[in-house]
Amino acid sequence: MRRFFILTKAMFLVYLRERSTLFWNFAFPVFLLVIYAAVFGGDNLAGFMSWMVPGVLAINILAFGLISSATMMTEFRQKGVLRRLQASPVPTLTLVGAYILVNVAIAVLQAALVVAVAMTFYGLKMPAANLLLALPMVLLSVLMSVALGQVVSGLAPGSGGAVAIGQILYFGQMFIADLILPIEQMPDWIQKVGPWLPGYAIAQLVRPPLQSGALSPDFAVNLLLALVYGAAAALLAARLFKWEARN
Amino acid sequence: MTDPILEIENVHAAYGRGAARVEALKGVSLQVKRGEIFGLLGPNGAGKTTLLSCLEGLLTPESGSLRVAGREPKRAKDRLGIQLQKTALLDDLTVAELIEFYAALYGAFPTRAQIDALLARFDLTEKRGQFIRRLSGGQQQRVALAIALANNPEIVVLDEPTSALDPHARRAVWDIIRALHDEGRTVVITTHAMEEAEALCGRVAIIDRGQIIACGAPAAIVAGLNINPVLKATVELPLEQVRALPGTLTARYTGQYLEVETTHPQTTMPALHALAAQLGRTLSEVALRQPNLEDAFLKLTGRTLNA
Repeated sequence: MRRFFILTKAMFLVYLRERSTLFWNFAFPVFLLVIYAAVFGGDNLAGFMSWMVPGVLAINILAFGLISSATMMTEFRQKGVLRRLQASPVPTLTLVGAYILVNVAIAVLQAALVVAVAMTFYGLKMPAANLLLALPMVLLSVLMSVALGQVVSGLAPGSGGAVAIGQILYFGQMFIADLILPIEQMPDWIQKVGPWLPGYAIAQLVRPPLQSGALSPDFAVNLLLALVYGAAAALLAARLFKWEARN
Repeated sequence: MTDPILEIENVHAAYGRGAARVEALKGVSLQVKRGEIFGLLGPNGAGKTTLLSCLEGLLTPESGSLRVAGREPKRAKDRLGIQLQKTALLDDLTVAELIEFYAALYGAFPTRAQIDALLARFDLTEKRGQFIRRLSGGQQQRVALAIALANNPEIVVLDEPTSALDPHARRAVWDIIRALHDEGRTVVITTHAMEEAEALCGRVAIIDRGQIIACGAPAAIVAGLNINPVLKATVELPLEQVRALPGTLTARYTGQYLEVETTHPQTTMPALHALAAQLGRTLSEVALRQPNLEDAFLKLTGRTLNA
């Protein structure tokens, strides 16, 4: 347990001390919120925020898994950190557990920051009950997203490749998965495809609890979607995982 | 104290697949005794790192067997302190945090005082709170060595511990390795510098193209090959007359140096002086070079070690 704690602490520090992850994980989400508020906010800012904040939260979760988490693992692999870990007697499950815990912690911190900024500066009302209901949805979404990110990291031989794949998957979903633009405003084909994307599942799991303190009417479908995506990605990531970068 | 702590028997290992497959070890056998400094000497790509990877449990050989302190390598990781060739440290941790982290990987939890003692030993006390990326190459290497010792291992495996260091830093690492030996630890190093192997190692294995071509004490390897000493001097003399001198086997010029390979330097030397005097020349920068591991490698492979 003590070993697990020290490993987790070290990985957490590595995350927090890296300037680029610090920017993308904490400065950028707030920046996005500010931009969206300025561009789309209009007269009914508080009402708009109650729809937009969960969306920003959801795309952050998506970006965190597909880009940050994937890149961090790829860098560990490229620098030879993973190889050194492999040479130590620490059980793989301990490492995986520490990595997941650190990822979840960062993603939850990020979500909390976005909500706090919206409540403080944009008059967002957020009852504690809503947050409590949303928390398990956020956790599940983060786990699924991190699993997807590890597939990306396993697919991409180099760090640059992982970033590229992650960004394509991220930006692709950003606009068509009901995250920051309502899917009802989209062309027919997107309305057909969008609801099957992982990003849509995140949005539907996270938004209704935050917005109205209730679950979405098709909660079961989206929960199942997230679980299936998460489980499939985790299995695939485990298969693709490599300790060492190819030269 | 002479029981083998590392046993390697007829190991074949390869990495890569298909067309990219490289057969890195082709039937390697050797034993390392408890408490010795053992050197794996060979050119780049000879298979040194691959052999270490097998010992470290990072690579499973295709055939053959390895025993680390009597166990399979994968079950003996806790017995080794290792430093990989590519120093793989987490840049964003301080020196003290790194040592705590790597010790914890081995289930070791050094106290603050123990970490301080380890840092003092490697002359890193003042770097305690510094980020690893801010340290010089020599300092980073010392951190890597401190990490290798963080779990107080009985066997220390160091892959080219001095390859990127300046002469001064290299000496410092040599002193550390000798101190590990004095504490009774077994040390295995790889190197492609023969003077390093000669200065440090009780025994060496010369490895080339995935095979061990000689193994033993450096002096014994050289002696066993019957390599002749070479007289060196700067002087201009006709080579055919030099070759006729008693004891002389070959004579040639390398740059400005006359090099005379001889079976009996005691007789060849005065004869060379006499020849020079007879032609009105004088010898300068005279030296007798005894054969070393570099010559042994040349004799065994027909190639030089750092080619």
